[in-house]
Amino acid sequence: MAVLLTTALTPIILQLVGIVIEPPISSLHEVNLPPSWQSEHFLGTDALGHDLVKMIVFGAMGSLSVGLCSAFVAVVLGNIWGSTAALAGGFVDSVMMRLVDALLAVPSIILLLTLSSILSAPELIEKFPTILLSSLGVTAYTDGLMPYFIVIVAITATTWLESARVARARVLAIKEEDFFVAARALGSSFNQLLGKHLLPALATTAVVEATLLVSDAIIMESGLSFLGLGLGPSTPSWGSMLKDAQACLIAGNWWAAVIPGLLICFTVIAVHLLGEGFLASKRARGKIPA
Amino acid sequence: MQMVLRRVLAAIPMLFLISLVSFTLMRALPGDPVDVMLGSAQKELPTEDLKVLREEFGLNQSPARQYLFWLSGWVKADNLASANALGRSYRDGRPVKEVIVERIPATLTLVGIALVLSFALGLSVGILAAFLSLQGNKRADSALTAVLLAIYSAPNFWLAFLALAALASQAGLALVKLPILGLHPPGAQPTFGAEIEYLFLPAIILSTRRMAKVALYVRTLALDEIGKEYVVAALAKGLSLMSVITNHVLKNCLIPVVNLAGLSLPALIGGSVLIETIFCVPGMGRLMVESTFGRNYPVLMGLVMLYGTIVILANLLADVLNKVIDPRLEN
Repeated sequence: MAVLLTTALTPIILQLVGIVIEPPISSLHEVNLPPSWQSEHFLGTDALGHDLVKMIVFGAMGSLSVGLCSAFVAVVLGNIWGSTAALAGGFVDSVMMRLVDALLAVPSIILLLTLSSILSAPELIEKFPTILLSSLGVTAYTDGLMPYFIVIVAITATTWLESARVARARVLAIKEEDFFVAARALGSSFNQLLGKHLLPALATTAVVEATLLVSDAIIMESGLSFLGLGLGPSTPSWGSMLKDAQACLIAGNWWAAVIPGLLICFTVIAVHLLGEGFLASKRARGKIPA
Repeated sequence: MQMVLRRVLAAIPMLFLISLVSFTLMRALPGDPVDVMLGSAQKELPTEDLKVLREEFGLNQSPARQYLFWLSGWVKADNLASANALGRSYRDGRPVKEVIVERIPATLTLVGIALVLSFALGLSVGILAAFLSLQGNKRADSALTAVLLAIYSAPNFWLAFLALAALASQAGLALVKLPILGLHPPGAQPTFGAEIEYLFLPAIILSTRRMAKVALYVRTLALDEIGKEYVVAALAKGLSLMSVITNHVLKNCLIPVVNLAGLSLPALIGGSVLIETIFCVPGMGRLMVESTFGRNYPVLMGLVMLYGTIVILANLLADVLNKVIDPRLEN
């Protein structure tokens, strides 16, 4: 248990630490140093002489913020879509869900690549509303948060589908449950039904769904960054670290490639276990059926 | 038979929706294909010529007409007619259909090998884990489960380039005699045998995540099945635990596993994008990445459509197979 907690917390702590320590600087007289306990860089350095510990901390900011943000937006969007479909029923339901099914048939990375290609088209970015551009901090000299925005939108657009499906199934099940039928029979208004009964019951599955989506999003972002379509060179992420590390494997620098990959692995496992633990605790307290 | 027919009919609106979405997405971008294809050369051409070109590509019609025209491109056998309807690759001006079709075999072979590998390995490892757990060997069981979970969480592309580097090193070359990059020996004519040999390593890497998932799934399924009465009866009859598992339990696990195979295909095809890029396999996935970077929208549109079609067909096949395995499934 303690091990699990540590693995789950380490990335979060890393992210907090990242605010305090200074960003990694490249020093070309210290390239490809192997990891050792004695040296100042105890995880070693990469091909540009960046200290790997610092790179990991800063990469965590990129990877985790993309993972958390896109999972949050996807779950909210998916739940709204799915429960609307379930509550509306009939023709609206079948049209809404057919669209989800159709998009789910396209492998997510295909959708992801297509969307990130379209979203980052310069001619489209020119047409974005100025409010969006200024709130993202885009100026003539910097892209600001634009790369984050594009990656998060692209990942969300591919991951909300699954959560819409789960939410619809869940709402259909809740509609039939005794407590819900009783509340309706007692004459609760629609708002009461929604706010007091439906949303709290939906929240549990939404949280579990969110943990799955966080790990999916982290893997997706690393894949995108690996291809060079992710957050870009100015914002390090574990995926772009892997991309750079692939090039310096030839120089015998395996640690720069192994460490970020392991970190992605651990984070995904940790987030997954967190979701399982949450589900188990809710089950133990009888909040949801086993 | 009725069920098959109903499933086929249900697949048609899905394909229609995919095509509609991909068409709308690409055409939502500013500028039309002729603008992009000609670029600044447009200024030097007379307007009449541009008009003729736009008419040939059907761009002077209403969006709905353009969409139908684009759809018709898929069924037109004539290369020129379909090139006008589906568009031409922005990169080299070749018809989209031709560009995509030549990439299909490599991807299908890769995904096919990976599918077989992941299920063959996954089933056996899953059964092994269930067997260990039943024998009360808790430590071995949980160690195996942890390893499978770790494999499942590792990004494919990371394992791919690590494997590539390991096998390309001096020690790796001495140990394993396996071609690792591309699809056939340089300069030689591509043959199916060489293709399989070249795609073996990429397929192994591609199959790892699926293998772990199948194994974990089969383990849970088998442990669920084993509590049932027919297993107790078989054991009471004096059969050994292993033969009960392989002869009886495995058969009952088959239906959900076939379903999982249908669902695995999108994941494997999706995974092949990065694997093909790393191992330099000239398949659809690499075309996808190339087109994404080149903003080659006609090819992207075609690829999205084709990927969707393959997945829908695979799910259809899984449904039909399930019906064959378990005739009780009427609806």
